[in-house]
Amino acid sequence: MNRKPLKSLFIILGILIVLALPLIIRDRYFQHLLVLSGIFILLTSSWNLLAGYSGLLNLGHAAFFGIGGYSSALLALKLNLSPWVGLPLGGAIASLFGILLGIPSFRLSGPYLAITTIGFCEILRLVAMNWVSLTRGSLGLYGIPPLTPLNFSTNFSIKFVSEQNAYYVILIFVSLTLILLNRLVHSEFGIGLKSIREDELGSQSIGIDTSRYKLTVFMISAFLAGFAGSFYAHYVRLISPEMMGLSETFNILTMVMVGGLGTLFGPVVGAILLTFLSEGLRFLEDFVKIDIRFVIYGGLLMATILFMRNGIVGLFKEVAKPKESNGR
Amino acid sequence: MESLFLQQVLNGLIVGSVYCLIAIGLTMIFGVMRISNFAHGDFSMLGAYFAIYFVLFLSGWAGWVGSLVVAAVGVGLIGFFVERFLFRPLLTRWTDIDIIMLSIGLFILLENGARLFFGATPEMIPDPFQSKTINFLLFSTSEIRLICLLFSCIAIFLLQLFLTKTKTGVAIRATSQNRNAAALMGINISFIYSLTFVVGSALAGLGGVLYGTIFAVFPMMGAMPTLKAFAVTILGGMGNIRGAVFGGFILGVAETLGGNYVSMQYKNAIGFVIVILVLLVIPQGLFGGREKKWG
Amino acid sequence: MILLEGKNLTKRFGGLLAVKDVDFALQSDEILGLIGPNGAGKTTLVNLITGYYAPNAGVILYRGKAISGLKPHAINNMGIARTFQIVRIFHKLTVLDNVRSGLVDRRTRPPWKVALDSLVKKRENQVTGRLGEERAIQLLEFVGLAAYRHELADNLPYAYCKRLEIARALATQPKILLLDEPSAGLNPKEQNDQIAIIKSISGRGITILIIEHVMKVIMDISHRIMVLHYGEKIAEGTPEEIYKNEKVVQAYLGGEAGAHN
Repeated sequence: MNRKPLKSLFIILGILIVLALPLIIRDRYFQHLLVLSGIFILLTSSWNLLAGYSGLLNLGHAAFFGIGGYSSALLALKLNLSPWVGLPLGGAIASLFGILLGIPSFRLSGPYLAITTIGFCEILRLVAMNWVSLTRGSLGLYGIPPLTPLNFSTNFSIKFVSEQNAYYVILIFVSLTLILLNRLVHSEFGIGLKSIREDELGSQSIGIDTSRYKLTVFMISAFLAGFAGSFYAHYVRLISPEMMGLSETFNILTMVMVGGLGTLFGPVVGAILLTFLSEGLRFLEDFVKIDIRFVIYGGLLMATILFMRNGIVGLFKEVAKPKESNGR
Repeated sequence: MESLFLQQVLNGLIVGSVYCLIAIGLTMIFGVMRISNFAHGDFSMLGAYFAIYFVLFLSGWAGWVGSLVVAAVGVGLIGFFVERFLFRPLLTRWTDIDIIMLSIGLFILLENGARLFFGATPEMIPDPFQSKTINFLLFSTSEIRLICLLFSCIAIFLLQLFLTKTKTGVAIRATSQNRNAAALMGINISFIYSLTFVVGSALAGLGGVLYGTIFAVFPMMGAMPTLKAFAVTILGGMGNIRGAVFGGFILGVAETLGGNYVSMQYKNAIGFVIVILVLLVIPQGLFGGREKKWG
Repeated sequence: MILLEGKNLTKRFGGLLAVKDVDFALQSDEILGLIGPNGAGKTTLVNLITGYYAPNAGVILYRGKAISGLKPHAINNMGIARTFQIVRIFHKLTVLDNVRSGLVDRRTRPPWKVALDSLVKKRENQVTGRLGEERAIQLLEFVGLAAYRHELADNLPYAYCKRLEIARALATQPKILLLDEPSAGLNPKEQNDQIAIIKSISGRGITILIIEHVMKVIMDISHRIMVLHYGEKIAEGTPEEIYKNEKVVQAYLGGEAGAHN
């Protein structure tokens, strides 16, 4: 069978295209969408880690996004901290809040956990809105410094204000994340998470400390989302408390469900698809004079649950299945 | 200060009574069908909009009362179709998460659809009493608000009667406690499901009219009542109607008092704080009843 | 020697006394049967031993060390495994992965270390790789499910699910295995297979406590039997002794004589 070399060829081709994309399509808006997609991939993948692999219904994910963003932005604005340090630091601070949202998950599940996590997120959003001395309230923070340029020599330095360069940075982080997540979910830790998702009491009976596992995965997920938030802050350079709003979480959730919950590429597909779809629909708005984007989002989410439960990736897998004899 | 305190308590009870109606609907639906409907508050929103348009036809007293009827019937009808064609097919097939996701999708659709349809500007359901204030000894309030409180209490009372004294009502309670046994006793589960969802949604619609009378009507108004209704039902134990009543009033009063004496800006957070604290200590809610691990 | 023992165990649920002042002792290498009419407190006792409930009174000693009040995962890590009355396998995982999950070493590593190792160690060296696959297949062969290893556990018929649960429990390398009605819902042939598997397990030096309603199974394989009724221990002895014991017969055939709450 000549499948393997063909598959490798496709993969190499794919990687080349991804690398060259902003060079091929030079439209800045398109490149901006690519960067946004990258940020969303981090968000969707991290949410998927909780909901898809561990069965933890976290509807407060936007909180991590916002905390990462605000932390890094404030550190840069007030303490002149380098945004490059702010990226992981924002993630780390978000990770601490991951503990806060993770603790309820020890004993709560389903709608109880959902409401608790929404509650935490809303409380944090209100704090961002009302602690005006720190966050400037609903005005938000502006003038956030971009990622500081890398200086290689007196003449040669790479700046990160442009969409194109930001794309390459986020590409690196997204690739790293996907590689690490792939390792994680197929590892001993990953199988523990999936066990918890399938049957918590059963998994306890085989030695899984479910509380600590949940805490750990919340921290990992929060870190990634916080990291995304920090990057977002230094990229668009303007953030507001709406970053932590319910619609932000619902956005992420829709992307994952449409793409495919519980798969590695589902969040990727969903993030890219819906980011571009959303912007494409924005153009429609100019013609039709109404904002139809979110109505379509809602409809899409419902249609996915009713007809395409495992998302696009799930559909793909089903189509691909009959060809393989040994399901692996 | 005393009269101000009592004033706030009264305000809290008024708001709380609206929360009760909405929360009872939610908890009934969860109790009988195990559906967590995140779009529940949007039914309230739809009810409020039904009222807005109805009072264009009929104003004053009759208009207001009529709008309550229209809202209940209209939202009930919508609820019927939502249950029949969206949730029912899922009930046997999928998991908890799917139902929540579906309802979130519905929430997004309804909220933004309403924005499209009705426009984003807030509107008010006109006060048929023209904001006449009644002054009691220690507090004062407007007539219409009192009517709202009265209406809610009557509605809750009638619902209790329905659930305890009528055959159908008892059937609903039976189904919520043990679906299989109820089916074996000859109860038409399909009918009970539809009825419960319709009644629950109608209650939400009624709550929406009251909410819109006291506050304002706008497309995004559904989100807060949904979350608060959830908070109340969790507080009271999901499926527990008496708990929802207690919880609704407690939340209303806590919010109003908290908003006045602690902080206005964090008023909406009070409900969440209470719920989080309660759930951390008692995972089933205050009235949830003992949940053995082997449910 | 006594491997596991309980003294004065009591468990209350609201007004209901599920287990009342129960003593028991599990000798190493034996198969102890636990029988009693429905609601007698058998599963509750197992839940107490495995940490799913905490006793209201009394202690449980494993190798002389008190374990009452420890969490279920800790008790498993000490060497006690169990199955459930209503099977709790991992439905959306493959049969192979169900067993592999049990193979993961959680005895010596806390969760954060497992996570770290997962990122650092090569996949082959992890249970989810080649290493684990071979060991898991061995366990599956032991219960006769090796042919289904790539099937989703969801698709297995009920009898196989029960065996899968046993294989998964064995994967944790327990010294004691607590089986909760492993033969429930099985037809006679399947029951015989189950008996063979359980005897085999015992043959490997694993001590077994088995709750069962199917008398054929219990009488066949138990070295000793303990009888609970309304939460109290009413008899204990060899299968023959229990068979003839009047109190036991009365408990099973009815008669509220001696009933209490």
